[in-house]
Amino acid sequence: MLVNAYSRRVFNLAYQFTGAFEEAEDLTQDIFLKLYNSLDKYDFQRNFGAWLLTLAKNHLIDHYRRTKWEKVSRDDFEEHLLASGPGFNPEAGLDAEVDRKLIWESLNGLPAEIRLAVILRDIQDKSYDEIARILELPIGTVKSRINRGRLQLAKILQERKETSHEL
Amino acid sequence: MNCERIEELLSLYLEGALSPKEKNAVEKHLDSCSACAQLLDALRDTCRALASIPELEVSPGLLSRLAAIPKTKKKVRFSLDFLLRPSLQPAFALAAVGLTLLSFYLFHPDKKKIDRTIEQQFHLGLSWVEKIYVRAGAFSDRLSDQAGNLVVSVKNLKIFERNEDQAF
Repeated sequence: MLVNAYSRRVFNLAYQFTGAFEEAEDLTQDIFLKLYNSLDKYDFQRNFGAWLLTLAKNHLIDHYRRTKWEKVSRDDFEEHLLASGPGFNPEAGLDAEVDRKLIWESLNGLPAEIRLAVILRDIQDKSYDEIARILELPIGTVKSRINRGRLQLAKILQERKETSHEL
Repeated sequence: MNCERIEELLSLYLEGALSPKEKNAVEKHLDSCSACAQLLDALRDTCRALASIPELEVSPGLLSRLAAIPKTKKKVRFSLDFLLRPSLQPAFALAAVGLTLLSFYLFHPDKKKIDRTIEQQFHLGLSWVEKIYVRAGAFSDRLSDQAGNLVVSVKNLKIFERNEDQAF
């Protein structure tokens, strides 16, 4: 039951964070193992989904710290999207598609904590309150991290556009 | 407001979460600063691009791996869990070094020679310890003699007698 209800959420967080499909699968498995070990520590007054995502966040950050020097690049985004659902949307236009690919590839350039905050806010559409609970941070810190992350990505996008205009 | 302060507010401006006063200040700045206006456009495109990243489906392989976890977990729980604690890592490292040295000793062609050397070294060490022990005993005797002499000398000093005289 837990697997059916939460595997998609945990896997997508892991995939969006690492950008590597197989690594995300392994991480999801590790997180569920941790979950089964920690169920007795769960405080019933807390929202279970947020508690699980906090557990996932801790595991992802630990994993990132252990392996950050091994990171090369993110998976080809489209490859997994085509197999999974709405990939290229012709109505959104080619530019939007190029932007999406560039932003996806640039996510690994963000520090882990900022990357997680941006993913939760902008990809998973969570509220600042929820993100603050998941990341166990004050809401002001969350807002400033998300702003910093977005700006870093926006500047990459801007640079790419300026370069393509010059060409 | 300078550009740096505007950058801090751009995300909240985009989300319409600023107070009317801050919103006006940002808009006023954006009218006069093309760099910040361009950054806002890029920020808008970034948020749009991030929001267009869809969720993936979990593969059937992963689902079955996840479903199998509780069973596997129970098996492992009673046998190996305590061995996987990170605090035991130094002990494992020490054990590995110990086993390597032991195998080196046990399978060495000149094992008897090693035994003899170990024995010699052991006796040498023992006699060295004995010597130190004897020297320490002698030193402690001398020290107690000196302490005794010191006490006698202090007692013989007339400082206290003079004080007593003054007191009367």
